[in-house]
Amino acid sequence: MNFLPGVREGVVRTSRARVTSYDSTDPDDPRTPVVLLHGTGGTATSHFWALFPMLAEHHRVIALDFTDPAEADGEPDTSWYVEQVEAVVAALSPHRRVAVVGYSFGAVVAAAFAGRRQELVESLVLVAGWTRSDQQQQLRNEVWSRLHAEGSSALPAFMVFTAYSPAYLLARTAPELADLVASAATGRDRATMMRFNRTVDVSEDVAQIAAPTLVVGCTADQMVPPHHARLLFGGIRDARYVEIRSGHAVVHERPAELYHLIDPFLTDPARTTPGDVILQEAV
Amino acid sequence: MSTIVSPPVPAAGNETVLSDTDVLIVGTGFSGLAIGTRLARQGRHSFALVDRASSVGGTWRDNTYPGAACDIPSHLYSFSFRPSTSWSHVYGRQPQILDYLERTAVEEGLLPHTFLDSEMLDAVWDEQAQRWDVRTSRGRHLATTLVTACGHLSDPAIPDLEGLDTFTGEIFHSARWNHDVDLVGKRIGVVGTGASAIQIVPELADLAESLTVFQRSAPYIVPRKDRAYSEAEKTMFGRLPETAQQLRAGLFWDSEARFPQRLGVPAFLAQMKKAARDHLAAQVADADLRDRLTPAYELGCKRILLSNTYYPALTQPHVRLETSGIARMTETGVVARDGSEIALDVLVVATGFEATDLPFAHRIRGRDGRLLSDHWAEGGRTVASTSVAGFPNLFVMQGPNTGLGAGSIVYIIESQAEYVSGAVDFIVDRESAIEPTVEAEDAYVADLDLRSQGTVWLSEGCRSWYRHPVSGRLSALWPDYMHRYRAENGAFDPAPYEILGSGRTVAAGQAR
Ligand SMILES: Cc1cc2nc3c(=O)[nH]c(=O)nc-3n(C[C@H](O)[C@H](O)[C@H](O)COP(=O)(O)OP(=O)(O)OC[C@H]3O[C@@H](n4cnc5c(N)ncnc54)[C@H](O)[C@@H]3O)c2cc1C
Repeated sequence: MNFLPGVREGVVRTSRARVTSYDSTDPDDPRTPVVLLHGTGGTATSHFWALFPMLAEHHRVIALDFTDPAEADGEPDTSWYVEQVEAVVAALSPHRRVAVVGYSFGAVVAAAFAGRRQELVESLVLVAGWTRSDQQQQLRNEVWSRLHAEGSSALPAFMVFTAYSPAYLLARTAPELADLVASAATGRDRATMMRFNRTVDVSEDVAQIAAPTLVVGCTADQMVPPHHARLLFGGIRDARYVEIRSGHAVVHERPAELYHLIDPFLTDPARTTPGDVILQEAV
Repeated sequence: MSTIVSPPVPAAGNETVLSDTDVLIVGTGFSGLAIGTRLARQGRHSFALVDRASSVGGTWRDNTYPGAACDIPSHLYSFSFRPSTSWSHVYGRQPQILDYLERTAVEEGLLPHTFLDSEMLDAVWDEQAQRWDVRTSRGRHLATTLVTACGHLSDPAIPDLEGLDTFTGEIFHSARWNHDVDLVGKRIGVVGTGASAIQIVPELADLAESLTVFQRSAPYIVPRKDRAYSEAEKTMFGRLPETAQQLRAGLFWDSEARFPQRLGVPAFLAQMKKAARDHLAAQVADADLRDRLTPAYELGCKRILLSNTYYPALTQPHVRLETSGIARMTETGVVARDGSEIALDVLVVATGFEATDLPFAHRIRGRDGRLLSDHWAEGGRTVASTSVAGFPNLFVMQGPNTGLGAGSIVYIIESQAEYVSGAVDFIVDRESAIEPTVEAEDAYVADLDLRSQGTVWLSEGCRSWYRHPVSGRLSALWPDYMHRYRAENGAFDPAPYEILGSGRTVAAGQAR
């Protein structure tokens, strides 16, 4: 399914890969584009079905589907994915700066891109991102890999169990929960990205980030627990921080809250100052 | 300024001045109680409340029909400044909600300020005295600032059915339930299939000998995720208030995430349509009935309803869904358009409210005697959905462009209370009257019109009370996210106002 009527789908090539891109308007749009980078095992549509159309109401939004290397090309490194972002930005929005919103694995790539290509990034949002994989993450990754290797029927339930917050799972009816597990069994192959995730270390890039940055941590995140977001907040000079009560799957659990935080930041990053901890008002 | 002049107890002639205050509030539902509580807690300004009814509570005093309950979870559909830990269910029942509102009036000390059985007959801006002069059925009230909190779903709308007065059975509106009528074993008809009707029908199906539901258009209905809260949960909410607060916040963001449906975003529409389709398929086996229960308009055009018991009620043998329309009423019942005659003992009218031409607007005169309903002849016009050009020191709660397609009205009401209280501070501090400029009003209306474009409510084939019948403008609803309402209109800003008084007019921006 497409995000919205009028969204243009295209193909952009790096020297090594073909990447599908999505653009809510066109290159003549004078507004700073917002580039969305999806997470592990996702695609632009599967992770940003909510956030893309929400943001597209008032912004030009660009997204892409990350491409993994073919088996013969070996394991991807950070540059493999950063290149794809560079290519999409150069093709759809040449000679201008962009705002980048990365989620999960996409936040890792976004941080690397922002550190390496400072001149291109006007502002940055890192949602449920991390700098260096730690042993808590490696433990989960290990369980996932074994279940995957064994072709275990327990894998989808395990993924749902680790992706969503207890509160979210409790609020589903039994058929809804079953649907959630069933849909975790489909979706693109995530094995390559999962191997990549085991050894992430973008600390050098993170230290180089100059753009005003909003770091979003999720309080009930078991896959990238919020201590990672807090470290990003500590590691990025011009960062502000906010927490959402959600599991790792915040793009599905709390898309409206995410939008409510991201939209004003993108519109005017100077609304908050470096070091600010944004407290969510009571509703 | 002076406070209440006389206690509310003795009935007074129309000309007796019963109160002379900084603020007069008309209405004691969620809106009136919200601003009343704010002023009472603040303790700076004198105020009085009036209501035409004999007790407080508004909607939740008037809607006592069997099965009455809210459609937004109670932990969200309640005041943030008065969290209750005792809601019995996710969706509180009418007696509980009324009790909650009555307690609010008592515990916030509002009753001594309240004049009941006092219907506002007219309100006139007194240019000389720079104050409102309000006549009620019991006497006069003078106030520098007038806040209407009369509700937009408070005056029942009765359909114009041929032969209505010839019907010899019992007939009443859902919001004026006649509890004296014994319904057991009766032949009952229900007109309407909106939010009230689908709560009423399953209850009546249990009592009636036969039940006929007259449907003009089939609503979208999705499962109602209701359940009782356990004693342990309720005590937990009390002992750990943050758990109730987190629940409330979660409910709020869930509602916010439904707004893109109203923008017609495909993924959001598809999700909800699937929920509605699956629900219908799971509950109604008969293909013909299912057909007639399948909505013919785009999702979100009218309210999406929640019920687990409505469809099952319709599948019972003594319950009939009549979709050909009502041709006319006779002494003994209804003649449908397909010619069939349906004999009835009781007809329940559940056809909603006068929501497009708000009755209180016919009773308010601003500068130069201008009637608010004339100013709004083509749909409501305001600044910040609250104040009106030509109507100094008037603030309208729950008037034009404050309704929601998905969400808790109480969130909007609290935002309005905050705005009005800021305006009252300004008015009292400056000892002057304020009024939004015509330009500011035009700009606000134009901006809302722009936002309304592209929403489902203005889409082709969507007709609802949300749109003004004359202009077609989306005049009842706030056409955006709730959080954006508060961000834009939740705090008083004098910029769009001019300050009137002492014979000269200064733009508020300059005076700052
Ligand atoms: C059955 C039903 C269920 C609803 N469920 C929900 C829900 O789940 N969630 C939601 O968000 N909204 C719901 N609503 C909408 C509901 O109307 C609002 O949420 C809210 O109760 C409005 O409060 P209010 O104080 O603005 O108006 P009201 O509660 O209508 O109060 C208006 C008061 O003004 C008084 N009044 C009116 N005219 C005059 C006059 N001329 N002189 C003196 N007094 C006057 C009336 O007597 C009344 O007491 C529901 C509405 C109905 C009818």
